[in-house]
Amino acid sequence: MAYVEVDYFQLFKDQQRVGGDAFLSRKVRDENRVISVLSDGLGSGVKANVLSTLTATMALNYVTNHMDIEKAARVIMKTLPVCKTRKISYSTFSIVDVEKDNRVRIVEYDNPPFLLVRNGKVIDTAKQSIKLDNNTHTKEDVLKCVEFKARLGDRIILFSDGVSQSGMGTPEFPLGWRESSIRQFVCGILEREPELSARDLSRRIVQKAYTHNYNAAWDDITCGVINVRQPRELLIMTGPPIHKERDQEMAEIFELFTGEKILCGGTTANIISRELGRPIDVDLSHIHLDVPPTSNMQGASLVTEGTITLGKVVEILESGLNPDSMKPNGAVLLVQHLLNHDKIHFCVGTKINDAHQDPHVPVELEIRRNIIKRIQQALEDKHLKETTLQFI
Amino acid sequence: MIKVEICTGTTCFVMGGAELLMLEESLPESLADRVEIQGTSCMEHCKSNPAGEAPYARVNGKLIKQASIHNVITELKRITGEE
Repeated sequence: MAYVEVDYFQLFKDQQRVGGDAFLSRKVRDENRVISVLSDGLGSGVKANVLSTLTATMALNYVTNHMDIEKAARVIMKTLPVCKTRKISYSTFSIVDVEKDNRVRIVEYDNPPFLLVRNGKVIDTAKQSIKLDNNTHTKEDVLKCVEFKARLGDRIILFSDGVSQSGMGTPEFPLGWRESSIRQFVCGILEREPELSARDLSRRIVQKAYTHNYNAAWDDITCGVINVRQPRELLIMTGPPIHKERDQEMAEIFELFTGEKILCGGTTANIISRELGRPIDVDLSHIHLDVPPTSNMQGASLVTEGTITLGKVVEILESGLNPDSMKPNGAVLLVQHLLNHDKIHFCVGTKINDAHQDPHVPVELEIRRNIIKRIQQALEDKHLKETTLQFI
Repeated sequence: MIKVEICTGTTCFVMGGAELLMLEESLPESLADRVEIQGTSCMEHCKSNPAGEAPYARVNGKLIKQASIHNVITELKRITGEE
């Protein structure tokens, strides 16, 4: 079954400590739906942040609860404060609702139009316009709605006007980046890198917009990408089995898994190395005092130490910080692998390492299954990943 | 070539193995070209030996308990006959 990957990247307007654009997503697991909202609040800074967060939160909740989108839009517009001078209540929004059979509904209000990229080309969709009567506004309010069935490989790209208007007034982009050039840029990237993740594509688009402004953010710059694709699966194998007789079974699980594989833990790596006859090669080219070195083994994308590394992974995932801006170590590399995959399977050996309970050990080493539970929770709640857990 | 293997398992790493990995930078000139340093995944000595012996290292196969830059260099000098 297809998997819906969602991610976004954002830069705040220069000098602002909060963003005036909001991008919120929610996975409704019981219904197999993914809902995302991009909202741009009038102005920038705190006021815009309140407007856009309010709008995005309301939209997300209404759509989750199946409220008619037109009605939801009216309620949102009535709720927002109206700007006295401009007579507009203002925040724009785009709502994307991907349902279980990949049926997509998109509603846009005043944001730059979304792009649908299919097989490397931008597809035009027939949008229906709905006029909203709203006498407090000086301009006519129009909602643009569209429904279609997504195909495997489709990307839906949303962006704020910080992207489409980037570079405006410069000799290269007198009228800003504009839709036609953005289309060209996106298709060019995807032609070279057809498997690019939502996380990487959204970042590339925002960074490109930033360079148009001579490396500055003249407005909040936000891009969100929804990617319907074959799920990328990752196996995290950590911890020796409770009974030694199951070592072989663990090695079979590792060998038969068809996605990418990562081993966390010295004993775990030793078991797989012994059972499959593959040497472990510790990489001492980067030494860090807080995270043990990584190793290489044929068939594994990464081999790390166990408890300390996984403890750091939890910290990074729970903080929501971007691992791409961190100095690479075992934990940072592991987080990057986790974020680049959609379905993550944890195969956890439950044997407790008595040496970690030694009172001489100067730091608290948490029990493996507790750390894994926290990692799972952070991946599901903060990063919309699917996870499974198997004890051995 | 004298081979030094340093355990990078969890227990050894937190008991001083992290600093031990910097051994190369502390080698005296007389030893620098004669020593090959390797990391190993958990040697599993911590599980069978009394607590408090980590970190472990091996110098030409000989196990060093409570290994430190100091006592590994001492062992290296013993092998080369400098001491």
